[in-house]
Amino acid sequence: MDEMDGLRLPADSGRKPQDADLGRATTLAASPLLLCIDDEALGLQIRKAVLERAGYRVVTALDGANGLTLFWDQPVSGVVLDYFMPGMDGGQVAAEMRKRRPEVPILLLTAHINLPPEVVKMVDYTLLKGEGPQELLAKIHEMLNDSHDQAGPNRESNGGGR
Amino acid sequence: MNLLEFRSILRQTLIFPVLLLLVLAGFILWQIGQYQATLRAIDLSDEVTSEVIDLEKLVIDQETGLRGYQLTGDPVMLAPYKAAFVTIPLRFARLHQLLSDNPDQLSRLSQLQDSYQLWLGFAQGVLKKDPAIVNLPQLNQHGKQMMDNLRYEVNGLLQDEDRRRKHRSANALHFERRQVVTIVIASLAVGTLLGLFTINRLRRVSRTYSTALEELTKQSEEIYESRQWFQTTLESIGDAVMACDNDGRVTFINLVAQNLTGWSTQDALEQPLSKVFHIINEETREEVENPVEKVRRLKTVVGLANHTALISKQGKEYIIDDSAAPIYDEDGEIIGIVLVFRDVTDARRTEAALVAGEKLAVAGRLAASIAHEIHNPLDSVANLHFLLANESDTEKRAHYLHLAQQELGRTMQISRTLLSLYREPKAPVPVDLKDLAEGVLLLLERRLVQQDIRVECEFAEPSVVQGFPAELRQVFTNIVVNALEATGKGGRIRIRIDRVPADETRGSGMLVEVADSGSGISEHDRRHVFQPFYTTKGEDGTGLGLWVSMGIVQKHGGTIRIANCTDEDLRGACVQVYLPERTLANASSRSTAHVQA
Repeated sequence: MDEMDGLRLPADSGRKPQDADLGRATTLAASPLLLCIDDEALGLQIRKAVLERAGYRVVTALDGANGLTLFWDQPVSGVVLDYFMPGMDGGQVAAEMRKRRPEVPILLLTAHINLPPEVVKMVDYTLLKGEGPQELLAKIHEMLNDSHDQAGPNRESNGGGR
Repeated sequence: MNLLEFRSILRQTLIFPVLLLLVLAGFILWQIGQYQATLRAIDLSDEVTSEVIDLEKLVIDQETGLRGYQLTGDPVMLAPYKAAFVTIPLRFARLHQLLSDNPDQLSRLSQLQDSYQLWLGFAQGVLKKDPAIVNLPQLNQHGKQMMDNLRYEVNGLLQDEDRRRKHRSANALHFERRQVVTIVIASLAVGTLLGLFTINRLRRVSRTYSTALEELTKQSEEIYESRQWFQTTLESIGDAVMACDNDGRVTFINLVAQNLTGWSTQDALEQPLSKVFHIINEETREEVENPVEKVRRLKTVVGLANHTALISKQGKEYIIDDSAAPIYDEDGEIIGIVLVFRDVTDARRTEAALVAGEKLAVAGRLAASIAHEIHNPLDSVANLHFLLANESDTEKRAHYLHLAQQELGRTMQISRTLLSLYREPKAPVPVDLKDLAEGVLLLLERRLVQQDIRVECEFAEPSVVQGFPAELRQVFTNIVVNALEATGKGGRIRIRIDRVPADETRGSGMLVEVADSGSGISEHDRRHVFQPFYTTKGEDGTGLGLWVSMGIVQKHGGTIRIANCTDEDLRGACVQVYLPERTLANASSRSTAHVQA
């Protein structure tokens, strides 16, 4: 539970006025916006609830194409991406994202065990589905902090070094 | 040379000498005839001479008689004269006859006759005169002159005849000598001819004989060699070989057969085959029909039933594969039976291991898909658990719990489907092929979705057959995975389940057809895909999927076929699996495929 409290820290500022609707809306505008892409509708919905509970703002898409549209239109701070999807797979989506906005960090969240190495190199973090929400939140926290600490171009080397 | 020729030669050697000797005898007879003719000519001369002498004597007797009468005047003295008076003309006639072929002598004879007639005229003249004056000197002188003349002529005749006789005698001698030479030469010629002929005939016979003898020797050598050849071959090959005569007694047993049956050659020879080659059904432990009886009954090559076990003399048991074939003589009668068998115990174990391994491999091939399927709901459940722990709102909690339940249900379904790949009932149960196909598609859904493959299903209902669900699921997983890999991204797969009515070759059942939009199957692959270890997927395939599938389908009494689609819009491979409504399979039936060449 200590760990979980710690996890809440980045969202603490947003969680203080949680009882007031107005206050919540203003804080939400300040908290990071995450883009979640997954073809599992139910899983995506639940993941969104978890992330929102943690204080993030979340937009979701059920496939790569829709995800990319959101990515162009919204000021996304980070991406939580599924690999195994109909149409474009996670690798293709990540490649498109990198072309336009390479500074946005990407977390590849998948149940797929044998990910192609070039895909692993392209994204910043990978996480196996089923590891639990704590692990997911920790990774996202780490990812957003890293991208804040380091300037855009440098972050690339971080991703490449993985 | 055949017997007929030989007989003809025998006939020739009999007839030819006889003919030749007949010719020789004829020749000799002719020669003798010739010689006799010359001898007759000598005889003729002798006869002429003796006739002439006789004639002369008669004439002298006449003259003597006449002289006596002249001297005495006694007519008694004329008796010889008168006696010769009758015989002399006869003698002349005879001589004329004898000398008819000789004009010289004939003219001399005529002259002699004339002289005699002249003398006779004189003698008649004397006799007519008075007997007292007949003894006159001039008369006597005249008579003597005439008689001398006559004598002279006789001498000429005789001399000539003598000369002639000498000539003839020399002729005969010469002829005789020549004849001897001729006959000797003729005999020699005949003898030589006969000898040559006989030698020729004998040579021919002996040549034929020696050729026949050579051939026989060669043949017997060849027979020996080929016997050795076959014996060594049979002794050396890796299969067990036994042969028995028509009474079912062992006449040959090679080393491998000796090892398997536990009978040595010495012990096995002349023993009844069923004693040496003791076979039972591997499962029922019942005696199996003696293959010798079966061959004799069917008069053709027979293979042993499956699951045949050979019990050796020492009680060791081998699973064998074998065949028995009749040995015919020239007239097509069975004179023996040869039995070829091989220990397949290890092969059978290997096959079983391969089948078991392939069963696991099917699951292995699905592992990635399954991990995904299970991880997704598990991830959701873990997230829901996190939300529940931090949620106090009852309504929301209930909603989360409901979602968690839903996701757990999904996990359970996946795990059940996975388990059903292994769990197998003891006896065939009703299997709904529609459910089965849907279960397979559920496990493969991830891959199908990711590859953007459209699956069209046309399922007839009801689609229930008897069978073993896990095995059938393995078959369909193999076929659908093959289709999925063949069509590639954006392809199409059509799965049809149809009811098929009974016909003369099979009972009523279900036909499952899986067609894909891939590039189809080549003729070469089509002929080999059901063989073990044949794969078109390179390193990624084991080459066992379709082989095992075929074994399973065959065990259910069904058939599996692969061809290319003929549809306008679907040009890939098309696999058809027919399954009978009622299966004869039981849990222990072999599911190893029997691939027909």
